[in-house]
Amino acid sequence: MEFLGYTRPDGQVGARNIVAIIPTVGCVNAVALNIEKLIKGTRAFTHHQGCLHPPQDTETVTRTLINLGKNPNVAAVLVVGLGCEMVDFDRVVEGIKESGKPVQAVRVHDLGGMLETINKGAQLAADMVLEASKLRRTKQGLDKLRFCTKCGSSDTTSGLSSNLVVGEVCRLMTENGGTFVQGEVCDIMGGEYALKNLCVDPAEGDKIINFVKDLYDRGTAVGADVRGSQMTSGNVAGGLTTLIEKAMGANAKGQNVPIQSALEYGSRPMCAGRHIMATPGHGFENLTGGAASGAQLILFTTGRGAPNGHPCIPTVKLCGNSKTNVTMQSHIDVDVASVIEETETVEQAGKRLYEYAVAVASGTLTKAEILNFDGHMEILIKGPVM
Amino acid sequence: MKKFAKQIVEKDNVATCVADVNAGDEVYVKINGQELAYKANAEIPFGHKIAVKNIKTGEFLYKYGEAIGKATQDIAVGDWVHTHNVVDHYEVV
Repeated sequence: MEFLGYTRPDGQVGARNIVAIIPTVGCVNAVALNIEKLIKGTRAFTHHQGCLHPPQDTETVTRTLINLGKNPNVAAVLVVGLGCEMVDFDRVVEGIKESGKPVQAVRVHDLGGMLETINKGAQLAADMVLEASKLRRTKQGLDKLRFCTKCGSSDTTSGLSSNLVVGEVCRLMTENGGTFVQGEVCDIMGGEYALKNLCVDPAEGDKIINFVKDLYDRGTAVGADVRGSQMTSGNVAGGLTTLIEKAMGANAKGQNVPIQSALEYGSRPMCAGRHIMATPGHGFENLTGGAASGAQLILFTTGRGAPNGHPCIPTVKLCGNSKTNVTMQSHIDVDVASVIEETETVEQAGKRLYEYAVAVASGTLTKAEILNFDGHMEILIKGPVM
Repeated sequence: MKKFAKQIVEKDNVATCVADVNAGDEVYVKINGQELAYKANAEIPFGHKIAVKNIKTGEFLYKYGEAIGKATQDIAVGDWVHTHNVVDHYEVV
């Protein structure tokens, strides 16, 4: 098996060929969105961060913006700034340029307002789209693939089918030299020791323990025990008995594949294999973290039907609930209810999902892309917002 | 129609029912190419767990091959396993 992708100057291979419009601060989202509307082939990566953060959050936002620009699905980048934001505009531009791809920049204060910036930015974007459209997909090895994963709108079937099926893909793709990025610290909570035991380096396992402790401490700081909000009465009614059980169902997306490293939010893994990133469960920030890791697509498990995608990476939705597969058919890409119904093994369904994901990496569109249900994203900040 | 429960790995001593089970029903579990039947000792709703091995008080429950909780009373094969006979042993360090 191989896939068809766009080779980038740094050797990464894209599953899509978009010209990204990246605002360095949420204040200029209107500029980015107007250029996206004007110029075919562009995607605006709008968010609401970039200013009035503590330094740690400014660093996270800056790193994430750079790594979004470096994502191989992105052919070229137009960076849009305001001129007074905390995020260092030049650092974002120079950081993305390290990838060798075309990068242009416009700043509203420099150009004298929104209309002038749209005018200039749209012209630059149009030129980059023309050049990007001249690129062609070529045959690529499966070792070039990087998938991230998330579960959303989960139900009982998630931990019994879809998450196990993704776990099988994790095993198969990492055996082929690919890279797999998993996160959702809130879902890891309760299962962090099981993940630590899978780490090839115990120091990386300690980082995963600290990801959970950090979340717990941030909850305590506002008077909340986040263990309680993780294990809901609905979970218990649905049959989940303990937080560990719930966590293990989420962790199953990586099966028992060894873990190479624990990654800060929005950073890129340094080697192939399975990695754990400090992403939240909340979808908008979660998918952005995965996209910043350099993943070409996301394997998104759902039970009740989570429809959202992401502007940078296609989301392959898979579902083990036979009712949802009918009622939310227009949002689900891969039906794995067969695993619940015992008509297909996890291994068989995993192979089927892997093949489908490779087809998506080669250009098959996901439901979220077709429906344009993929326009919104966010970047994680821990605050306080000032 | 046959009622199934999912046992994730062989080490597990519980399986999760994927049908609403009545007391006395046969519940089928497919594991390693084999199909085994267990008689339910109680009503077990969809998504809830049935014991596939005897579990003594203080012993761990295994699902996904991991200890997910501790039995607070003796649990027999076919019993409904949930918060009434299991306690969470998780602590944030």
